[in-house]
Amino acid sequence: MDSVLAWLIITVIKILVILGIVLGIGAYLTLVERKVAAHIQRRPGPMVVGWHGLLQPLADGLKLLTKEDLFPRYGNRFLYNLALVLALVPATLVFAVVPFGPEFETFGIKVKPILTDVNVGLLLVFAFGSMAVFAIALAGWASNSKYALIGSMRKAGIVVSYEVVITFAVMGPIILAGTLSTYEIVQKQIEQKLWYIWLQPIAFVVYMFAVLAEMGRVPFDIQEAEAELVTGFTVEYGGMKFGLFPLVEWYVEGLSLSAIAVVLFLGGWSPINIPFLGFIDPLFFLGPLSPFVWFALKVTLLFLFILWLHWTLPRYRIDQITSTAWKVMLPLTFVNLVLTAVIAPLIWR
Amino acid sequence: MIQWLVFFLFSGIAVLSALGVVFLPNPIYVILALLSVLVSVAGLFFIAGAELVGAIQLLIYAVAVTVFYVFVLTAVPWEKAIKKDPFYRVEGLISFPLVLALYVEMVLVFLIGVSVSPKGQFRELITKFGNTEVVGAILFSKYFLAFELVSLVLLIGMIGAVIIGRKEAQTYEDHSS
Repeated sequence: MDSVLAWLIITVIKILVILGIVLGIGAYLTLVERKVAAHIQRRPGPMVVGWHGLLQPLADGLKLLTKEDLFPRYGNRFLYNLALVLALVPATLVFAVVPFGPEFETFGIKVKPILTDVNVGLLLVFAFGSMAVFAIALAGWASNSKYALIGSMRKAGIVVSYEVVITFAVMGPIILAGTLSTYEIVQKQIEQKLWYIWLQPIAFVVYMFAVLAEMGRVPFDIQEAEAELVTGFTVEYGGMKFGLFPLVEWYVEGLSLSAIAVVLFLGGWSPINIPFLGFIDPLFFLGPLSPFVWFALKVTLLFLFILWLHWTLPRYRIDQITSTAWKVMLPLTFVNLVLTAVIAPLIWR
Repeated sequence: MIQWLVFFLFSGIAVLSALGVVFLPNPIYVILALLSVLVSVAGLFFIAGAELVGAIQLLIYAVAVTVFYVFVLTAVPWEKAIKKDPFYRVEGLISFPLVLALYVEMVLVFLIGVSVSPKGQFRELITKFGNTEVVGAILFSKYFLAFELVSLVLLIGMIGAVIIGRKEAQTYEDHSS
Protein backbone atom coordinates (compact mmCIF):
# COMPACT_ATOMS: atom_id res chain seq x y z
CA MET A 1 0.00 0.00 0.00
CA ASP A 2 2.86 2.31 0.87
CA SER A 3 4.47 1.88 -2.51
CA VAL A 4 1.16 2.54 -4.27
CA LEU A 5 0.72 5.73 -2.27
CA ALA A 6 4.27 6.85 -3.01
CA TRP A 7 3.74 6.13 -6.69
CA LEU A 8 0.51 8.12 -6.68
CA ILE A 9 2.12 11.11 -4.97
CA ILE A 10 5.09 11.07 -7.34
CA THR A 11 2.80 10.86 -10.37
CA VAL A 12 0.68 13.79 -9.19
CA ILE A 13 3.83 15.85 -8.57
CA LYS A 14 5.13 14.95 -12.04
CA ILE A 15 1.83 15.95 -13.66
CA LEU A 16 1.79 19.29 -11.83
CA VAL A 17 5.43 20.03 -12.68
CA ILE A 18 4.98 19.16 -16.35
CA LEU A 19 1.76 21.14 -16.71
CA GLY A 20 3.25 24.11 -14.89
CA ILE A 21 6.41 24.11 -16.98
CA VAL A 22 4.66 23.56 -20.30
CA LEU A 23 1.86 26.10 -19.91
CA GLY A 24 4.06 28.65 -18.12
CA ILE A 25 6.81 28.44 -20.71
CA GLY A 26 4.18 28.33 -23.43
CA ALA A 27 2.80 31.68 -22.29
CA TYR A 28 6.24 33.23 -22.04
CA LEU A 29 7.28 31.94 -25.46
CA THR A 30 4.95 34.57 -26.91
CA LEU A 31 7.38 37.18 -25.62
CA VAL A 32 10.39 35.19 -26.85
CA GLU A 33 8.84 34.95 -30.28
CA ARG A 34 8.07 38.66 -30.46
CA LYS A 35 11.55 39.56 -29.30
CA VAL A 36 13.26 37.20 -31.74
CA ALA A 37 11.06 38.39 -34.59
CA ALA A 38 11.75 42.00 -33.68
CA HIS A 39 15.52 41.56 -33.59
CA ILE A 40 15.49 39.64 -36.88
CA GLN A 41 13.71 42.63 -38.40
CA ARG A 42 16.01 45.15 -36.64
CA ARG A 43 13.48 46.66 -34.24
CA PRO A 44 13.38 46.45 -30.43
CA GLY A 45 10.00 44.67 -29.98
CA PRO A 46 7.95 45.08 -26.78
CA MET A 47 9.84 47.46 -24.47
CA VAL A 48 7.23 49.28 -22.36
CA VAL A 49 5.76 46.76 -19.90
CA GLY A 50 8.53 45.78 -17.50
CA TRP A 51 12.26 45.66 -18.24
CA HIS A 52 12.61 44.98 -21.99
CA GLY A 53 8.93 43.97 -22.05
CA LEU A 54 9.34 41.12 -19.56
CA LEU A 55 5.81 41.56 -18.18
CA GLN A 56 4.24 41.81 -21.64
CA PRO A 57 2.71 38.26 -21.58
CA LEU A 58 0.90 39.10 -18.33
CA ALA A 59 -0.49 42.28 -19.85
CA ASP A 60 -1.55 40.38 -22.97
CA GLY A 61 -3.20 37.68 -20.90
CA LEU A 62 -5.10 40.29 -18.86
CA LYS A 63 -6.24 42.00 -22.04
CA LEU A 64 -7.43 38.73 -23.58
CA LEU A 65 -9.25 37.66 -20.39
CA THR A 66 -11.18 40.89 -19.99
CA LYS A 67 -12.36 41.04 -23.60
CA GLU A 68 -15.97 40.49 -24.53
CA ASP A 69 -16.79 36.88 -25.40
CA LEU A 70 -18.17 37.16 -28.92
CA PHE A 71 -19.98 34.29 -30.59
CA PRO A 72 -20.91 34.07 -34.28
CA ARG A 73 -24.63 34.04 -35.09
CA TYR A 74 -25.83 30.61 -36.36
CA GLY A 75 -22.68 28.97 -35.05
CA ASN A 76 -22.81 25.84 -32.94
CA ARG A 77 -21.92 26.85 -29.39
CA PHE A 78 -21.25 23.35 -28.06
CA LEU A 79 -18.83 22.42 -30.83
CA TYR A 80 -17.31 25.91 -30.79
CA ASN A 81 -16.26 25.40 -27.16
CA LEU A 82 -15.48 21.70 -27.56
CA ALA A 83 -12.88 22.57 -30.20
CA LEU A 84 -10.89 24.44 -27.54
CA VAL A 85 -10.81 21.40 -25.27
CA LEU A 86 -9.89 19.11 -28.16
CA ALA A 87 -7.03 21.43 -29.06
CA LEU A 88 -5.54 21.76 -25.59
CA VAL A 89 -5.87 18.23 -24.18
CA PRO A 90 -4.05 16.07 -26.79
CA ALA A 91 -1.29 18.66 -27.16
CA THR A 92 -0.50 18.56 -23.45
CA LEU A 93 -0.95 14.77 -23.29
CA VAL A 94 2.07 14.38 -25.59
CA PHE A 95 4.29 15.48 -22.72
CA ALA A 96 3.31 12.32 -20.81
CA VAL A 97 5.88 10.37 -22.87
CA VAL A 98 8.65 12.98 -23.15
CA PRO A 99 11.67 11.98 -21.03
CA PHE A 100 13.30 15.04 -19.45
CA GLY A 101 16.39 13.36 -18.00
CA PRO A 102 17.93 10.17 -16.63
CA GLU A 103 16.59 8.27 -13.64
CA PHE A 104 17.64 9.81 -10.31
CA GLU A 105 17.16 9.05 -6.63
CA THR A 106 15.74 11.38 -3.98
CA PHE A 107 14.76 10.44 -0.41
CA GLY A 108 15.42 6.79 -1.21
CA ILE A 109 12.88 6.71 -4.07
CA LYS A 110 13.94 6.18 -7.66
CA VAL A 111 12.27 8.71 -9.96
CA LYS A 112 12.18 8.61 -13.74
CA PRO A 113 11.57 12.13 -15.06
CA ILE A 114 8.96 10.88 -17.53
CA LEU A 115 5.27 10.65 -16.70
CA THR A 116 4.68 7.19 -18.12
CA ASP A 117 7.38 5.10 -19.80
CA VAL A 118 4.93 3.14 -21.94
CA ASN A 119 6.68 0.89 -24.44
CA VAL A 120 4.89 2.37 -27.47
CA GLY A 121 5.55 5.98 -26.48
CA LEU A 122 6.41 7.23 -29.94
CA LEU A 123 3.20 5.94 -31.50
CA LEU A 124 1.27 7.79 -28.81
CA VAL A 125 3.14 11.01 -29.60
CA PHE A 126 1.99 10.93 -33.19
CA ALA A 127 -1.53 9.78 -32.32
CA PHE A 128 -2.01 12.68 -29.91
CA GLY A 129 -0.17 15.09 -32.17
CA SER A 130 -2.48 14.45 -35.09
CA MET A 131 -5.61 14.65 -32.95
CA ALA A 132 -5.20 18.41 -33.19
CA VAL A 133 -6.81 18.11 -36.61
CA PHE A 134 -10.21 17.43 -35.01
CA ALA A 135 -10.01 20.62 -32.99
CA ILE A 136 -9.19 22.61 -36.10
CA ALA A 137 -11.86 21.00 -38.26
CA LEU A 138 -14.49 21.51 -35.56
CA ALA A 139 -13.42 25.09 -34.93
CA GLY A 140 -13.74 25.81 -38.63
CA TRP A 141 -17.11 24.14 -38.96
CA ALA A 142 -18.73 25.41 -35.77
CA SER A 143 -17.79 29.03 -36.51
CA ASN A 144 -20.07 29.01 -39.54
CA SER A 145 -17.73 31.22 -41.54
CA LYS A 146 -16.18 30.72 -44.96
CA TYR A 147 -12.73 31.88 -43.93
CA ALA A 148 -12.70 29.59 -40.92
CA LEU A 149 -13.89 26.62 -42.96
CA ILE A 150 -11.31 27.13 -45.72
CA GLY A 151 -8.57 27.52 -43.13
CA SER A 152 -9.54 24.36 -41.32
CA MET A 153 -9.79 22.36 -44.56
CA ARG A 154 -6.30 23.47 -45.55
CA LYS A 155 -4.91 22.58 -42.15
CA ALA A 156 -6.61 19.17 -42.22
CA GLY A 157 -5.08 18.48 -45.64
CA ILE A 158 -1.63 19.45 -44.40
CA VAL A 159 -1.90 17.39 -41.22
CA VAL A 160 -3.10 14.30 -43.10
CA SER A 161 -0.20 14.40 -45.56
CA TYR A 162 2.53 15.27 -43.09
CA GLU A 163 1.36 12.79 -40.47
CA VAL A 164 2.25 10.01 -42.91
CA VAL A 165 5.62 11.63 -43.68
CA ILE A 166 6.54 12.16 -40.02
CA THR A 167 5.64 8.57 -39.12
CA PHE A 168 7.88 7.16 -41.83
CA ALA A 169 10.67 9.63 -41.03
CA VAL A 170 10.97 8.41 -37.44
CA MET A 171 11.14 4.76 -38.54
CA GLY A 172 14.90 5.12 -39.11
CA PRO A 173 15.80 5.96 -35.50
CA ILE A 174 13.30 3.33 -34.32
CA ILE A 175 15.10 0.65 -36.36
CA LEU A 176 18.46 1.80 -35.01
CA ALA A 177 17.24 1.75 -31.42
CA GLY A 178 15.03 -1.34 -31.74
CA THR A 179 12.36 0.07 -29.45
CA LEU A 180 9.39 2.46 -29.46
CA SER A 181 9.83 3.70 -25.89
CA THR A 182 11.15 7.28 -25.79
CA TYR A 183 13.20 6.67 -22.64
CA GLU A 184 14.80 3.54 -24.11
CA ILE A 185 15.66 5.31 -27.37
CA VAL A 186 17.77 7.86 -25.50
CA GLN A 187 19.37 5.10 -23.42
CA LYS A 188 20.32 3.25 -26.61
CA GLN A 189 21.91 6.34 -28.09
CA ILE A 190 24.02 6.75 -24.97
CA GLU A 191 24.98 3.06 -25.01
CA GLN A 192 25.86 3.12 -28.71
CA LYS A 193 27.69 6.43 -28.25
CA LEU A 194 25.92 7.83 -31.28
CA TRP A 195 23.36 10.55 -31.88
CA TYR A 196 21.07 9.20 -34.54
CA ILE A 197 21.31 12.44 -36.52
CA TRP A 198 24.74 11.29 -37.74
CA LEU A 199 23.21 8.23 -39.41
CA GLN A 200 19.82 9.76 -40.19
CA PRO A 201 20.39 13.25 -41.62
CA ILE A 202 17.65 12.80 -44.26
CA ALA A 203 15.14 11.65 -41.67
CA PHE A 204 16.03 14.62 -39.47
CA VAL A 205 15.52 17.17 -42.26
CA VAL A 206 12.23 15.60 -43.30
CA TYR A 207 11.13 15.48 -39.65
CA MET A 208 11.87 19.18 -39.23
CA PHE A 209 9.83 20.03 -42.34
CA ALA A 210 6.96 17.97 -40.99
CA VAL A 211 7.24 19.73 -37.62
CA LEU A 212 6.91 23.09 -39.36
CA ALA A 213 3.85 21.81 -41.21
CA GLU A 214 2.18 20.37 -38.11
CA MET A 215 2.83 23.50 -36.10
CA GLY A 216 1.49 25.67 -38.89
CA ARG A 217 4.70 27.66 -39.12
CA VAL A 218 6.03 29.50 -42.16
CA PRO A 219 6.62 28.23 -44.88
CA PHE A 220 3.58 26.02 -44.19
CA ASP A 221 1.25 28.44 -42.40
CA ILE A 222 -1.24 28.47 -45.26
CA GLN A 223 -4.16 27.75 -42.89
CA GLU A 224 -3.66 31.17 -41.33
CA ALA A 225 -2.51 33.16 -44.34
CA GLU A 226 -3.35 36.57 -42.87
CA ALA A 227 -3.41 38.20 -46.27
CA GLU A 228 -6.16 36.01 -47.72
CA LEU A 229 -7.93 34.23 -44.84
CA VAL A 230 -7.61 36.81 -42.04
CA THR A 231 -6.45 34.18 -39.51
CA GLY A 232 -8.05 31.02 -40.83
CA PHE A 233 -9.97 28.83 -38.40
CA THR A 234 -9.55 31.18 -35.42
CA VAL A 235 -11.25 34.09 -37.15
CA GLU A 236 -14.52 33.81 -35.19
CA TYR A 237 -12.88 33.31 -31.80
CA GLY A 238 -12.39 36.20 -29.41
CA GLY A 239 -10.62 36.96 -26.15
CA MET A 240 -8.78 34.17 -24.37
CA LYS A 241 -10.41 31.60 -26.67
CA PHE A 242 -8.54 33.20 -29.55
CA GLY A 243 -5.36 33.23 -27.50
CA LEU A 244 -5.60 29.52 -26.77
CA PHE A 245 -5.21 28.29 -30.36
CA PRO A 246 -1.81 29.88 -31.09
CA LEU A 247 -0.70 28.93 -27.58
CA VAL A 248 -1.48 25.29 -28.29
CA GLU A 249 -0.46 25.14 -31.92
CA TRP A 250 2.67 27.25 -31.92
CA TYR A 251 4.06 26.82 -28.45
CA VAL A 252 2.82 23.67 -26.70
CA GLU A 253 2.93 21.56 -29.87
CA GLY A 254 6.18 23.19 -30.95
CA LEU A 255 7.80 22.39 -27.62
CA SER A 256 6.61 18.79 -27.66
CA LEU A 257 7.70 18.14 -31.25
CA SER A 258 11.10 19.77 -30.63
CA ALA A 259 11.49 17.64 -27.51
CA ILE A 260 10.68 14.50 -29.51
CA ALA A 261 13.17 15.56 -32.19
CA VAL A 262 15.83 15.93 -29.48
CA VAL A 263 14.93 12.50 -28.09
CA LEU A 264 15.03 10.81 -31.49
CA PHE A 265 17.94 12.49 -33.22
CA LEU A 266 20.00 14.49 -30.72
CA GLY A 267 20.46 11.99 -27.94
CA GLY A 268 18.01 13.38 -25.39
CA TRP A 269 19.84 14.46 -22.26
CA SER A 270 23.31 13.30 -23.37
CA PRO A 271 26.04 15.94 -23.85
CA ILE A 272 27.90 16.67 -27.11
CA ASN A 273 28.59 13.49 -29.05
CA ILE A 274 31.57 12.37 -31.11
CA PRO A 275 30.22 9.47 -33.21
CA PHE A 276 31.22 6.01 -31.89
CA LEU A 277 33.83 7.51 -29.51
CA GLY A 278 31.94 9.05 -26.63
CA PHE A 279 30.54 12.21 -25.12
CA ILE A 280 32.14 15.51 -24.16
CA ASP A 281 30.42 17.42 -21.37
CA PRO A 282 31.49 21.06 -21.06
CA LEU A 283 28.78 21.46 -18.40
CA PHE A 284 30.27 18.81 -16.08
CA PHE A 285 30.47 21.31 -13.19
CA LEU A 286 26.66 21.21 -12.88
CA GLY A 287 26.90 17.64 -11.62
CA PRO A 288 23.60 15.73 -11.57
CA LEU A 289 21.77 18.73 -13.07
CA SER A 290 23.78 18.69 -16.28
CA PRO A 291 21.55 16.19 -18.23
CA PHE A 292 18.45 18.31 -17.59
CA VAL A 293 20.27 21.45 -18.68
CA TRP A 294 21.45 19.70 -21.85
CA PHE A 295 17.93 18.58 -22.67
CA ALA A 296 16.48 22.06 -22.10
CA LEU A 297 19.31 23.62 -24.10
CA LYS A 298 18.76 21.38 -27.13
CA VAL A 299 14.99 21.90 -27.11
CA THR A 300 15.48 25.67 -26.85
CA LEU A 301 17.94 25.74 -29.75
CA LEU A 302 15.61 23.71 -31.98
CA PHE A 303 12.70 25.94 -31.07
CA LEU A 304 14.70 29.09 -31.83
CA PHE A 305 15.67 27.52 -35.16
CA ILE A 306 11.96 27.12 -35.98
CA LEU A 307 11.33 30.75 -35.00
CA TRP A 308 14.22 31.86 -37.18
CA LEU A 309 12.71 30.06 -40.19
CA HIS A 310 9.28 31.47 -39.41
CA TRP A 311 10.45 35.06 -39.52
CA THR A 312 12.65 34.80 -42.62
CA LEU A 313 10.88 32.64 -45.20
CA PRO A 314 7.93 33.34 -47.51
CA ARG A 315 4.85 31.11 -47.66
CA TYR A 316 4.07 28.22 -50.02
CA ARG A 317 0.76 27.58 -51.76
CA ILE A 318 -1.41 24.76 -50.44
CA ASP A 319 -1.02 22.53 -53.51
CA GLN A 320 2.76 22.99 -53.41
CA ILE A 321 2.80 21.99 -49.74
CA THR A 322 0.81 18.78 -50.15
CA SER A 323 2.49 17.73 -53.39
CA THR A 324 5.93 18.18 -51.76
CA ALA A 325 4.78 15.95 -48.94
CA TRP A 326 3.56 13.12 -51.15
CA LYS A 327 5.98 13.37 -54.07
CA VAL A 328 9.27 14.42 -52.50
CA MET A 329 9.32 13.78 -48.78
CA LEU A 330 7.49 10.46 -48.64
CA PRO A 331 9.74 8.79 -51.27
CA LEU A 332 12.77 10.23 -49.46
CA THR A 333 11.65 8.65 -46.20
CA PHE A 334 11.07 5.32 -47.99
CA VAL A 335 14.61 5.38 -49.37
CA ASN A 336 15.91 6.28 -45.93
CA LEU A 337 13.90 3.47 -44.35
CA VAL A 338 15.24 0.83 -46.75
CA LEU A 339 18.82 2.06 -46.40
CA THR A 340 18.56 2.02 -42.61
CA ALA A 341 17.07 -1.45 -42.59
CA VAL A 342 20.01 -2.67 -44.69
CA ILE A 343 22.75 -0.81 -42.82
CA ALA A 344 21.62 -1.20 -39.21
CA PRO A 345 22.21 -4.97 -38.95
CA LEU A 346 25.63 -4.59 -40.61
CA ILE A 347 26.78 -2.25 -37.85
CA TRP A 348 25.32 -3.79 -34.72
CA ARG A 349 24.52 -7.44 -35.31
CA MET B 1 -9.57 -2.75 -8.19
CA ILE B 2 -8.49 0.47 -9.93
CA GLN B 3 -8.24 -1.52 -13.15
CA TRP B 4 -11.88 -2.59 -12.87
CA LEU B 5 -13.01 0.95 -12.17
CA VAL B 6 -11.19 2.29 -15.22
CA PHE B 7 -12.46 -0.63 -17.28
CA PHE B 8 -16.08 0.14 -16.39
CA LEU B 9 -15.50 3.83 -17.02
CA PHE B 10 -14.15 3.25 -20.52
CA SER B 11 -16.64 0.55 -21.46
CA GLY B 12 -19.51 2.71 -20.19
CA ILE B 13 -18.33 5.61 -22.33
CA ALA B 14 -17.90 3.26 -25.29
CA VAL B 15 -21.43 1.85 -25.02
CA LEU B 16 -23.04 5.25 -24.46
CA SER B 17 -21.27 6.82 -27.42
CA ALA B 18 -22.04 3.80 -29.59
CA LEU B 19 -25.72 4.45 -28.85
CA GLY B 20 -25.03 8.06 -29.79
CA VAL B 21 -23.59 6.98 -33.13
CA VAL B 22 -26.82 5.20 -33.95
CA PHE B 23 -29.40 7.63 -32.58
CA LEU B 24 -28.03 11.18 -32.88
CA PRO B 25 -29.61 13.12 -35.76
CA ASN B 26 -26.80 15.58 -36.50
CA PRO B 27 -24.00 13.95 -38.54
CA ILE B 28 -21.25 15.94 -36.89
CA TYR B 29 -22.32 14.71 -33.44
CA VAL B 30 -22.40 11.20 -34.86
CA ILE B 31 -18.78 11.51 -35.90
CA LEU B 32 -17.80 12.88 -32.50
CA ALA B 33 -19.57 9.97 -30.85
CA LEU B 34 -17.70 7.60 -33.17
CA LEU B 35 -14.43 9.26 -32.17
CA SER B 36 -15.35 8.81 -28.53
CA VAL B 37 -16.09 5.10 -29.10
CA LEU B 38 -12.73 4.58 -30.79
CA VAL B 39 -10.77 6.44 -28.11
CA SER B 40 -12.46 4.57 -25.26
CA VAL B 41 -11.84 1.23 -27.00
CA ALA B 42 -8.17 2.27 -27.18
CA GLY B 43 -8.39 2.90 -23.44
CA LEU B 44 -9.74 -0.65 -22.96
CA PHE B 45 -6.77 -2.03 -24.90
CA PHE B 46 -4.39 -0.10 -22.66
CA ILE B 47 -6.00 -1.54 -19.52
CA ALA B 48 -5.76 -5.04 -20.97
CA GLY B 49 -2.00 -4.48 -21.35
CA ALA B 50 -2.05 -4.42 -25.16
CA GLU B 51 -0.27 -1.08 -25.53
CA LEU B 52 0.67 -1.61 -29.17
CA VAL B 53 -2.90 -2.38 -30.23
CA GLY B 54 -4.16 0.56 -28.19
CA ALA B 55 -1.70 2.98 -29.75
CA ILE B 56 -2.47 1.69 -33.24
CA GLN B 57 -6.17 1.99 -32.51
CA LEU B 58 -5.60 5.66 -31.66
CA LEU B 59 -3.30 6.34 -34.60
CA ILE B 60 -5.17 4.50 -37.36
CA TYR B 61 -8.82 4.47 -36.35
CA ALA B 62 -9.23 7.49 -34.09
CA VAL B 63 -7.09 9.78 -36.26
CA ALA B 64 -6.43 8.53 -39.78
CA VAL B 65 -9.86 7.04 -40.54
CA THR B 66 -12.05 9.50 -38.66
CA VAL B 67 -10.26 12.47 -40.21
CA PHE B 68 -11.68 11.52 -43.57
CA TYR B 69 -15.21 11.51 -42.17
CA VAL B 70 -14.51 14.97 -40.83
CA PHE B 71 -13.29 15.99 -44.29
CA VAL B 72 -16.61 14.92 -45.78
CA LEU B 73 -18.50 16.65 -43.01
CA THR B 74 -16.88 20.00 -43.46
CA ALA B 75 -18.38 19.94 -46.94
CA VAL B 76 -21.88 19.46 -45.47
CA PRO B 77 -23.73 22.79 -45.36
CA TRP B 78 -24.69 23.96 -41.92
CA GLU B 79 -28.47 23.93 -42.53
CA LYS B 80 -28.50 20.38 -43.87
CA ALA B 81 -26.66 19.04 -40.85
CA ILE B 82 -29.54 19.83 -38.48
CA LYS B 83 -32.25 18.33 -40.66
CA LYS B 84 -33.90 15.48 -38.81
CA ASP B 85 -35.60 13.59 -41.64
CA PRO B 86 -34.87 9.88 -41.45
CA PHE B 87 -33.19 8.74 -44.64
CA TYR B 88 -33.27 5.27 -46.18
CA ARG B 89 -35.95 3.74 -43.98
CA VAL B 90 -36.90 0.98 -46.44
CA GLU B 91 -33.30 0.18 -47.27
CA GLY B 92 -32.57 -0.10 -43.55
CA LEU B 93 -35.36 -2.62 -43.07
CA ILE B 94 -34.26 -4.67 -46.07
CA SER B 95 -30.63 -4.80 -44.98
CA PHE B 96 -31.49 -5.75 -41.39
CA PRO B 97 -31.34 -9.58 -41.89
CA LEU B 98 -27.98 -9.24 -43.61
CA VAL B 99 -26.59 -7.18 -40.73
CA LEU B 100 -27.95 -9.73 -38.28
CA ALA B 101 -26.24 -12.56 -40.18
CA LEU B 102 -22.95 -10.63 -40.09
CA TYR B 103 -23.24 -10.16 -36.34
CA VAL B 104 -23.99 -13.85 -35.80
CA GLU B 105 -20.94 -14.69 -37.88
CA MET B 106 -18.78 -12.33 -35.80
CA VAL B 107 -19.98 -13.89 -32.54
CA LEU B 108 -19.35 -17.39 -33.91
CA VAL B 109 -15.83 -16.52 -35.10
CA PHE B 110 -15.09 -14.96 -31.74
CA LEU B 111 -16.31 -17.97 -29.77
CA ILE B 112 -14.45 -20.46 -31.97
CA GLY B 113 -11.33 -18.32 -31.76
CA VAL B 114 -11.47 -18.26 -27.97
CA SER B 115 -11.90 -22.02 -27.74
CA VAL B 116 -9.04 -22.70 -30.19
CA SER B 117 -6.45 -20.14 -29.01
CA PRO B 118 -3.75 -21.41 -26.65
CA LYS B 119 -4.36 -20.29 -23.08
CA GLY B 120 -1.73 -18.23 -21.29
CA GLN B 121 1.07 -18.90 -23.77
CA PHE B 122 1.28 -15.41 -25.17
CA ARG B 123 1.21 -13.81 -21.72
CA GLU B 124 4.58 -15.38 -20.90
CA LEU B 125 6.01 -14.25 -24.22
CA ILE B 126 4.71 -10.71 -23.74
CA THR B 127 6.23 -10.31 -20.29
CA LYS B 128 9.48 -11.72 -21.67
CA PHE B 129 9.88 -9.83 -24.94
CA GLY B 130 7.41 -6.94 -24.84
CA ASN B 131 4.29 -6.12 -26.76
CA THR B 132 5.62 -4.96 -30.12
CA GLU B 133 8.07 -7.82 -30.55
CA VAL B 134 5.47 -10.52 -29.86
CA VAL B 135 2.98 -9.02 -32.31
CA GLY B 136 5.71 -8.81 -34.95
CA ALA B 137 6.86 -12.37 -34.37
CA ILE B 138 3.34 -13.80 -34.62
CA LEU B 139 2.43 -11.65 -37.61
CA PHE B 140 5.51 -12.64 -39.59
CA SER B 141 5.44 -16.35 -38.77
CA LYS B 142 2.00 -17.80 -38.19
CA TYR B 143 -0.07 -15.25 -40.11
CA PHE B 144 2.47 -14.39 -42.80
CA LEU B 145 0.33 -15.51 -45.76
CA ALA B 146 -2.72 -13.60 -44.52
CA PHE B 147 -0.55 -10.53 -43.91
CA GLU B 148 0.88 -10.59 -47.43
CA LEU B 149 -2.57 -11.12 -48.97
CA VAL B 150 -3.93 -8.13 -47.07
CA SER B 151 -1.07 -5.97 -48.28
CA LEU B 152 -1.87 -7.06 -51.84
CA VAL B 153 -5.49 -5.97 -51.35
CA LEU B 154 -4.27 -2.61 -50.04
CA LEU B 155 -2.00 -2.21 -53.06
CA ILE B 156 -4.92 -2.82 -55.40
CA GLY B 157 -6.97 -0.27 -53.48
CA MET B 158 -4.18 2.27 -53.76
CA ILE B 159 -3.82 1.77 -57.51
CA GLY B 160 -7.58 2.19 -57.87
CA ALA B 161 -7.49 5.43 -55.87
CA VAL B 162 -4.68 6.78 -58.04
CA ILE B 163 -6.57 5.92 -61.22
CA ILE B 164 -9.77 7.56 -59.96
CA GLY B 165 -7.93 10.62 -58.67
CA ARG B 166 -5.66 11.30 -61.66
CA LYS B 167 -6.22 14.19 -64.01
CA GLU B 168 -7.87 13.28 -67.29
CA ALA B 169 -5.48 13.79 -70.18
CA GLN B 170 -8.40 14.86 -72.34
CA THR B 171 -11.97 15.53 -71.33
CA TYR B 172 -14.98 14.14 -73.13
CA GLU B 173 -15.89 17.57 -74.52
CA ASP B 174 -12.54 17.77 -76.28
CA HIS B 175 -13.02 14.29 -77.67
CA SER B 176 -16.42 14.92 -79.21
CA SER B 177 -15.51 18.21 -80.85
